[in-house]
Amino acid sequence: MDRMDLVYRLLDDQLVDVDGRRCGRVDDLEFDGGIGDPPPRLAAILSGSGTWHRRLPRRLRSSGARIFGHGVLGQDVIQVPWEQVDDITSVVQLKAKARELGLARGDARDAVFVAKLPES
Amino acid sequence: MKKVFQVALGIIAAIGGFVDIGELVFDTQAGADYRYQLLWAVPVGVVGIVVFAEMTGRVATVSGRPVFDVVRMRMGLSVGLVTLVASLLINLITLAAEVGGAALVLQLLFDVNVSTLILVSVVSLLLIVYFVPFGGIERIFGYLGCALLVYVAAAIHLKPNWHQVAKGLVPSWQPSALYAYFVVGVIGAAMVPYEVYFYSSGAIENRWSIKDLGLNRANAVLGFTLGGILSIALIVVAGEVFFTPQIQPGYLGTTALGAQQAYGEAGLLLALLGMLFAVGGAAVECAFSGAYTLAQFAGWEWGKYRRPRDAPRFTFAWVAFFAMAFVIVETGVDPVLLTEYAVILSVVALPLTYLPVLLIARDRTFMGDHANGFLANAFGWLYFAIILVVSLAAIPLMLITDGGAS
Repeated sequence: MDRMDLVYRLLDDQLVDVDGRRCGRVDDLEFDGGIGDPPPRLAAILSGSGTWHRRLPRRLRSSGARIFGHGVLGQDVIQVPWEQVDDITSVVQLKAKARELGLARGDARDAVFVAKLPES
Repeated sequence: MKKVFQVALGIIAAIGGFVDIGELVFDTQAGADYRYQLLWAVPVGVVGIVVFAEMTGRVATVSGRPVFDVVRMRMGLSVGLVTLVASLLINLITLAAEVGGAALVLQLLFDVNVSTLILVSVVSLLLIVYFVPFGGIERIFGYLGCALLVYVAAAIHLKPNWHQVAKGLVPSWQPSALYAYFVVGVIGAAMVPYEVYFYSSGAIENRWSIKDLGLNRANAVLGFTLGGILSIALIVVAGEVFFTPQIQPGYLGTTALGAQQAYGEAGLLLALLGMLFAVGGAAVECAFSGAYTLAQFAGWEWGKYRRPRDAPRFTFAWVAFFAMAFVIVETGVDPVLLTEYAVILSVVALPLTYLPVLLIARDRTFMGDHANGFLANAFGWLYFAIILVVSLAAIPLMLITDGGAS
């Protein structure tokens, strides 16, 4: 892949699964390795409101964690390995279904209730 | 030919959809208090909404990003969250005002208590939104809202002093806080952000592609400009009917009396019908805008083109907005007062959504050959300056004038 400004071009972008369903945002990025040589490698995308408090101004972080979640992996944050990224266009296209990656679980949960309504 | 027809239908829907309770309240009060002296603020607001809507429609069409995608990308999470919360709050207040307005209009048509009519309004809107496809919703409310064109006919019929009307269209100033408050209100009523959120998300709902950029420009420029003529007509009619006897149109029904003065009962009925569908359509746009902003910010699946079970959180969100608006209006709060707060708060929050859209619209990385040219950039930055001034002045003016009461 060509060089890319991760903050400008990737952070906060829309995630779309292999079926074309919107399934979250790039809320944070995870790297392997430390600063130095070899340079850190982008390992995963983190998606979920549990990451949000870390990006708020320092004074608001503890209240942010109470409102948006503390960032528990698998609960309010989902880790999507970088290998699952298929392409980056106006969205970040993933290689798998949202369900398989643990994304869009809120939609899956609420769909059970909405499915009981008459077809529109 | 089919394309021309499609463009014409879009423009008609945009004309009917332009006016909401904000214009009905602020334009009528502006005409009643200052006759034609505030007419110039309408084109200032209309050009602003044309610039903003054209950019958001183009950004959504070219880059596939509606407004809150862009807000999240360009403003970052912290400022984005502030923008989100402000927008959701303003959407909710506006929705409550529109629902209350629809109930008040229904009360003028049917002698039933307003509490029941609020319930009728909300349930009817929920059913229409749930069962009618996106394009149908736009057309039902847009076309029937065109009944408000009775005000254009009334403005001509009442034979105003056209020289004075033309003079009113030339920007002027009065050293009065109340005058400045109404300038902010008239501009703000024309530039309410929910219309733009709805418009840009609509570009994606309607699956616009690059070949629809002409349609976007036509809808934004012609639809909003012709819609602005309705605003001018509201001010002229109010200036003719309410200014001399010094009638204060503090009640929504008073606005309808202007059309009655010109055309009797038929004029009154057309005005009420137009008002009902204008505020009803605006209510739908507000509820959807709230759901769009939330879903786009969080990255949920969204869109009326999706079945409810395929975008369940989006569906819950717009239903929840209607439910919350219902509760607010049932408390007995005055919809006209809510409208004033909604318009002024909208103005305050406007730069937060306008700036990121402008930044993306001029960015060739995202927009390629369809990025803003010299003219679009010039208008874009000029209006950002105007919006900033109006935004900073809005709250102090509201406090000084006690919400336009003094």
